[in-house]
Amino acid sequence: MDAKVIKQEGQTLKIVGTSPVRPDGTPKVTGLARYGADFALPGMLWGAILRSPHAHARIRAIDTSKARALPGVKAVITAEDFPEQKFEFVGPERVAVNFWHMTRNVMAREKVLYEGHAVAAVAATSKAIAEEALRLIEVDYEPLPHVIDVDAAMQPDAPLLFEDMITRGIDPPPGKPSNIAKRIEFNIGDLDAGFAAADEIVEMSFKTAPVHQGYIEPHACLARFDSNGQGELWSASQGHFVVRAFTARLLNMNIGDVLVHPAEIGGGFGGKTVIYVEPLAAALSRKSGHPVKIMMSREDVFKATGPTSGSSMTVRIGVKKDGTLVAADGVFKFQAGAFPGSPVMNATMCGFAPYDIPNVRSVGYDVVSNRPKSAAYRAPGSPISAFAVESVMDAVAARIGMDPLKFRLLNACKTGTPTVWGPKHAHDGYAETIKAVLAHPAYAAPLGKNQGRGVASGFWFNNGGESSATVHVNEDGTVVVATGSMDIGGSRASMAIMAAETLGIEYDDVRAIVADTASIGYTHVTGGSRVTFATGIAVVEACKKVIVELCARAAMIWKLEPGEVVWENGCAKPAGAAAGKFEPMPLKAVAAKRALTGGPIGAEASVNAGGAAPGFATELCDVEVDPETGSVKILRFVVAQDVGRAIHRSYVEGQLEGGVVQGIGWALNEAYIYDDAGHLLNAGFLDYRIPVASDLPMIETVLVEVPNPNHPYGVKGAGEVNIVPAMAAVANAINNAISRRLTDLPMSPPKVLAAIHSGRKG
Amino acid sequence: MRVVLISSHSGHYTGGVKEFEIEAQTLHDVIRVLNQRYPGLGEHLEEETSVAIDGEIHEVAYYHPVRPGCEIYFIPKIEGG
Repeated sequence: MDAKVIKQEGQTLKIVGTSPVRPDGTPKVTGLARYGADFALPGMLWGAILRSPHAHARIRAIDTSKARALPGVKAVITAEDFPEQKFEFVGPERVAVNFWHMTRNVMAREKVLYEGHAVAAVAATSKAIAEEALRLIEVDYEPLPHVIDVDAAMQPDAPLLFEDMITRGIDPPPGKPSNIAKRIEFNIGDLDAGFAAADEIVEMSFKTAPVHQGYIEPHACLARFDSNGQGELWSASQGHFVVRAFTARLLNMNIGDVLVHPAEIGGGFGGKTVIYVEPLAAALSRKSGHPVKIMMSREDVFKATGPTSGSSMTVRIGVKKDGTLVAADGVFKFQAGAFPGSPVMNATMCGFAPYDIPNVRSVGYDVVSNRPKSAAYRAPGSPISAFAVESVMDAVAARIGMDPLKFRLLNACKTGTPTVWGPKHAHDGYAETIKAVLAHPAYAAPLGKNQGRGVASGFWFNNGGESSATVHVNEDGTVVVATGSMDIGGSRASMAIMAAETLGIEYDDVRAIVADTASIGYTHVTGGSRVTFATGIAVVEACKKVIVELCARAAMIWKLEPGEVVWENGCAKPAGAAAGKFEPMPLKAVAAKRALTGGPIGAEASVNAGGAAPGFATELCDVEVDPETGSVKILRFVVAQDVGRAIHRSYVEGQLEGGVVQGIGWALNEAYIYDDAGHLLNAGFLDYRIPVASDLPMIETVLVEVPNPNHPYGVKGAGEVNIVPAMAAVANAINNAISRRLTDLPMSPPKVLAAIHSGRKG
Repeated sequence: MRVVLISSHSGHYTGGVKEFEIEAQTLHDVIRVLNQRYPGLGEHLEEETSVAIDGEIHEVAYYHPVRPGCEIYFIPKIEGG
């Protein structure tokens, strides 16, 4: 059930909002944290994966006989080792899972659909033998024409990835197959009438490059099977319950026969909400009878795991001379990669969400192409559409001569503003982020030669959902908090803070851990900025149950009725008619008498948390453009985000800084570069340029706190919306510096230089 | 109360009808009424949508109270990164 709201008025918070030492810090910096690749078992084999050299090819035959005959090879698998899956979309629209697609993504069947697509896998007694065995596998390919660019993939004569794919979302359905998996459209108002009423209309088209999440830790998994057919996995993911469910499904196992241990995770940003190596390691282990470990290389990560989509977009916005928005139209075309499922629906829903616009149409296309299947990436979809919308908003503000922040403030959504997907906004927070940047000293700071300033805003839903937590009081009065949420952004620290705050004890007396899939109730992925909200509610609910029990135990010690004891400041205290009869009894004292009063003290809570409040961010970027090279230097970056309430302040600030830095990389440097044959040319961090510290100023964070009344401490979620405005803020700053509107990401030096020399003003 | 179906698949069950006026006490009642009118729609709403009640987004769950005059939108489920 939803948690009851703890009223925050007058609530004095002692620990929430502080920045205590994070529990994962020391293990990580001393090298003692155990990631997926760090686990080993006796008799363990090494797994290796054979990957497609072709962007698109039919598999005529696979001969593994020579590999199987190699001494030291214990198992070889292909798609034949996985049961066929029914073709059906299961689950919600945006993230509907089609296991027919999923099993083909982890191991190609009829065709390979991108360079790096897994074709076979080997388990052997050493890495060298496994690699040698891969070279002995003979695959007979029939190369096929390929297509990568989203606009090219939508052409009627484009090579088809699936010869029978009919676009969903069009009524009546098209008569011919295409690479367009789905069309989505949202509308409010009367678009034609809206544009007819506009005094000014600005329309622009944009393209964005596909980019990778760039997590530092490659995927890795250790799998073992018992003789009774039960499997066990050690895997770094953003959701070990999802790893369990997907792996069990692809191996035709019961969910309860798979146990997944959460390893420490070296970044995910959405890219580790899906599976790649886990079912392969498990299948090799089942076939060989040995534990099997598979570790991806960085090249594997780039070539075979989900980046986010590249896109092609057109946005048109109409405005009155007084700055009132009257109409907006967006068409967003997203690369899904080799299988349907880009985040284009989110893009269509988020792009115009910050604004009160009476007439809106938002159209999306989910398009397959010969690239790895896209995976979630930090507010998936929203940064892409925001790049287009916020660039046009900047141009509209300039057209009517308004300050770009005041223009946004004039049109900012608030509680009661309709959204293009139907419901009215139920929370404020956006205007507060704009005001925070307006009031920031950076907004009035002078600029120098070749320098420019840009602003942009963004929206992300945040999320709730299913979470579980247990709270156990140890013999010495310290407390263990266990949850099912993988910790990718500081959740152990924030759970410990919320537990300590609720129980009234010290932060250092709480140890927060992530429990395996057999030791805690189902918990959904760590994604959607949901954990501090939803799992936090579960932790607080469990703590409240523990408090009830602590009061009952104290009542037994004092020979009072349970109703005569309350919990205050970490102590049981006689109340009502019994008030003052006994000195308050601290938690440690109650714990010391646990055996005398009924045994161990603990509680579990599971929730399906609703009422998540969205996140808004407004950002300011100052750049300097080198007119000779086109190089763009970020001089200053301010991010103001409504987080509801920061539980662990410095961790939340880190989330804002991280999102901005990823957005800067997306804006200026990052892109997948392919040759004419569809081969990825920059599958490594030397050539795929993510920002490093020396590229950046210190990111200036402003935590706007408009509490969410649906969370005991006001949490909204902090992890994602910070990336949403970043690319547009950089683009708007470049436009301000050189009077040229760049509409094609990344805005690399050659493109900036070409724009400078084009003579075309933005 | 006004009930609106935004999920595009809902149209398969309702023949394209998207808006309804329903009297109910809980979300469970809303789903049951819709499923009686359009068999199969209830399972679709339970499994494949989120719900916004007066703008507050929740996962679909039976126990959510709905007040007279409120607005209920069944929307595509949102996940993040």
